Amino acid sequence: MLNKIQNLNYLLIFLVILISFIGAAGLYSAAGGSYSPWASRHLIRLVLFIFLAVIIALLNIKYIYQFAYVFFILSLLLLLSVELIGVFGKGATRWINLFGFSIQPSELIKITIILAMARFYHDLKFDEIKRIKNLFFPILILFLPFALVVVQPDLGTALSIAMLGILVLFASGIRIWKFVLGFFVLILSIPLSLNYLQPYQKDRIFSFLNPEADALGRGYQLIQSKIALGSGGLTGKGFLEGSQSYLQYLPEKQTDFIFTLIGEEFGFIGTIFIILLFFLLISVCFYISIKSNHIFGRILSIGVGSNLFIYVIMNISMVSGLMPVVGIPLPLVSYGGSAMLAIIISLGLVLNAELNANLKKLHNA
Amino acid sequence: MFYSDDKKQYSVLNRRTFFLYLLKVSFFGIVGWRLYDIQIKNSEKYKTLSKNNQIDVEIIYPLRGKIYDINNKILASNTKVFDVYIIPENTKNINKSLNELNQIIKIDFSDRRKIIELSTKVKKFEKIKVLENINWSELEKIESNKLNIEGIFISQDYMRIYQHNNTVSHLIGYTNKPNREEVELPFIANMPNLEIGKDGIEKSFNPNLIGKSGQREIEVNSYGRVIREISRQDSQKGNDIYITIDLRIQKYALSLLKEHKAGSAVLMDINNGNILCMASTPSYNPNKIIQKPNKEYWDSILENELSPLTYRCIQGLYAPGSTFKMVVAIAGIVHGVLDTNTKHFCSGKIGLGDRLYHCWKNNGHGLMNVSDAIKESCDVFFYEISKKIGIDKIAEVAEDFGLGKIYDVPLPNQKKGIIPSRDWKKKKYDESWYPGETLISAIGQGFVLTNPLQLAVMTSIIASNGKNVRPNIIKKNNDFEFEKLEKYQNAIKIIKSSMFKVVNESKGTAYNSRSEIIPFAGKTGTSQVRRITVAERESEDFRKKEVEWKKRDHALFVGYMPVEKPKYAVSVVIEHGGSGASTAAPIAKEIFQFIKKLET
Repeated sequence: MLNKIQNLNYLLIFLVILISFIGAAGLYSAAGGSYSPWASRHLIRLVLFIFLAVIIALLNIKYIYQFAYVFFILSLLLLLSVELIGVFGKGATRWINLFGFSIQPSELIKITIILAMARFYHDLKFDEIKRIKNLFFPILILFLPFALVVVQPDLGTALSIAMLGILVLFASGIRIWKFVLGFFVLILSIPLSLNYLQPYQKDRIFSFLNPEADALGRGYQLIQSKIALGSGGLTGKGFLEGSQSYLQYLPEKQTDFIFTLIGEEFGFIGTIFIILLFFLLISVCFYISIKSNHIFGRILSIGVGSNLFIYVIMNISMVSGLMPVVGIPLPLVSYGGSAMLAIIISLGLVLNAELNANLKKLHNA
Repeated sequence: MFYSDDKKQYSVLNRRTFFLYLLKVSFFGIVGWRLYDIQIKNSEKYKTLSKNNQIDVEIIYPLRGKIYDINNKILASNTKVFDVYIIPENTKNINKSLNELNQIIKIDFSDRRKIIELSTKVKKFEKIKVLENINWSELEKIESNKLNIEGIFISQDYMRIYQHNNTVSHLIGYTNKPNREEVELPFIANMPNLEIGKDGIEKSFNPNLIGKSGQREIEVNSYGRVIREISRQDSQKGNDIYITIDLRIQKYALSLLKEHKAGSAVLMDINNGNILCMASTPSYNPNKIIQKPNKEYWDSILENELSPLTYRCIQGLYAPGSTFKMVVAIAGIVHGVLDTNTKHFCSGKIGLGDRLYHCWKNNGHGLMNVSDAIKESCDVFFYEISKKIGIDKIAEVAEDFGLGKIYDVPLPNQKKGIIPSRDWKKKKYDESWYPGETLISAIGQGFVLTNPLQLAVMTSIIASNGKNVRPNIIKKNNDFEFEKLEKYQNAIKIIKSSMFKVVNESKGTAYNSRSEIIPFAGKTGTSQVRRITVAERESEDFRKKEVEWKKRDHALFVGYMPVEKPKYAVSVVIEHGGSGASTAAPIAKEIFQFIKKLET
């Protein structure tokens, strides 16, 4: 036990804490120089979740392996219940109340998808991977949550689930041609899914294509966030000096757009610094993946790293106008409990994988 | 337990992991480049945009200067008005608030609907005007109920007010929103909503009256809501203007004029040129022009054929008639054509060429010297001397006495009138001068046209023994002297004694208007507005007949008082008043007596 604690990857834990602190500073500034309502909660959550992550890291990996599908099914049920509540009651929602906490199951499901996939490919012999029938189960694991999130409707999360699935499948070693085929199917399904999109989602996509055309409408967020970023320049306006976010130019400044606030106050140096921290964090996950001697640990670590990667790239692309505004938070920086919980728990799993990197097989736990 | 293909699997997975890592590196590269593009390369652009977004400059409009009369009585000032506004975001139910307000002050149902409709279109914190220029009792009612009505607030503003309605309206003018060209004027450059003077003193003194705008920099959020004030530079009130008008005389003169359809009275202080009274009737009420809606009032003004907007004192042009005879006599004396002994016989008419030129008195005045000719206003005497003087010399003297001139006073749109000469006619009509036209001009008819202010100036120059008096409308603190026209001294003395006789000796044309209280001197004038036909002239009583108002002669009188050491000069013109003796002279007398009363 003590031995395990000593061997924890403290670089990873340090990176999580550092990034979360930067997030707290941004939230402090977003509130006009105040810990309430966001920064204090953000920090409390950080402490709780880190504690939780360390506990998860110290668990026997065999239990995690064994319960991987159970976790997946439980989170799928949670997601389904959100859907049912939406249908039978209070209207469309993404939240569910669990033991007094408001939780977004769509954030949790990404982690259990990774767990389920990791277990599936761990159990599969390498020469069986190429069989078509063995594609059925992983695609089902991906498609069920994807479909449930799409009808919520939460375009950003659905997109990130699809991308996560693609990356994990790729990392698991399925044949490239299947991979390319699946990619084409996805591309072809875009026109079909456009019909299914909500009007506000279509607006978002069109405003992305030409934000200046509708500066006070849907393109508004994008222009404002670019102004905030750009006016930061190289060194930024200084902590708490960002007028854009102070003046409420930025909608959702504490969640999806927190990065623009940091960009305004700390400039290019600040944004590149955060990107480098994330790069490092994801690299640590990849390193642990390579280090693992069992497929479960490998897929788990690379899955969690890829999930982080998707979050970071989507969020920054979104606020810098590289892709439409779809509503994806920046991990550990944006305010919001569910995403933070999911990210830190998943990193706890990676810590666990590292501690158990030398195990060969997990079948007979 | 190892599977045989474990090694193979791990090498595939390592390759895949490496490939994903490359993907990660390249995506982070793209995002990093994008941030470089926004934060470094295009930073200046976004910095400018960010400044435009957050700081607004709001102009603080200055308070317009007041206008006072010579005794510091207010003629124009600004009054506080109260408007009632509603801010949609401050009320839970705008409909309810308006209904509650409606119970205090009636609001049109259609207005209420418009306000509610508007409230759905504008931003929630934008104020919407509900009521305009409410009176004190309404204000009180709202104030006492304000706490009960959500979202309602009262805002104070200033409106120009003219305390004496139409008494000095032509002279002072009025204010209004600038038109498209006026917006370009330098003094209103940054205040497009400023009300500016559109006529009279208000117009001439716009740069002084307006003052200086202030401004405040305010920080606003993206919705335009004011967050805080960054800096404030208060506006500077416009300068007050003191004019030379004596409100008491102006009011009194106007009351006399109002007994007639149209006319004017100008009174000057001959020592300093101060215009003490410059009344014109009909006039308009500038307050009714300012207060919207004003369309009905505007229409009534524009449709009035007497044109109330015309300032007759400076814009009304009249043939001066016999009031011009002083100028002709002075020209005669100065050019040696006549002296006090020169006599001409008036038989009622003289012939020149194939035409007859009549005296107003059909039977003739008999033998006349210059003094009698002025006193009894004999036309034939002036026909005779004008033949010898010639039109050019008369014109020269007329101009020396201020006729045919636009004065350098801040009164917009003065009309110059006409003092005819050979050159003038050549230029105007490309025709040579006919001798008969000299005769007609000598009795102030024909081409000759003057405005009432010019006649008052002429009279002032005579009364002051030839000081080159010029009118003045702005109160001055320092005393000054007009230069003296020496060459006219002798002639003026003769003329002044004749003007005394006009009023104070029997047979004088204005003898009926002589005053026991304050003796004054003057000259009547009756100017024809149409040619009198031969048939009419032969019917013995054509002057006594009631003729249609429009065809009646204009009545004029110019005069000064006191007789010794004159101080005031007056000109009175009553349009279609019949004759100067019967209509204009009595008004002059009343004005002089009123002044006398004021001074004692």
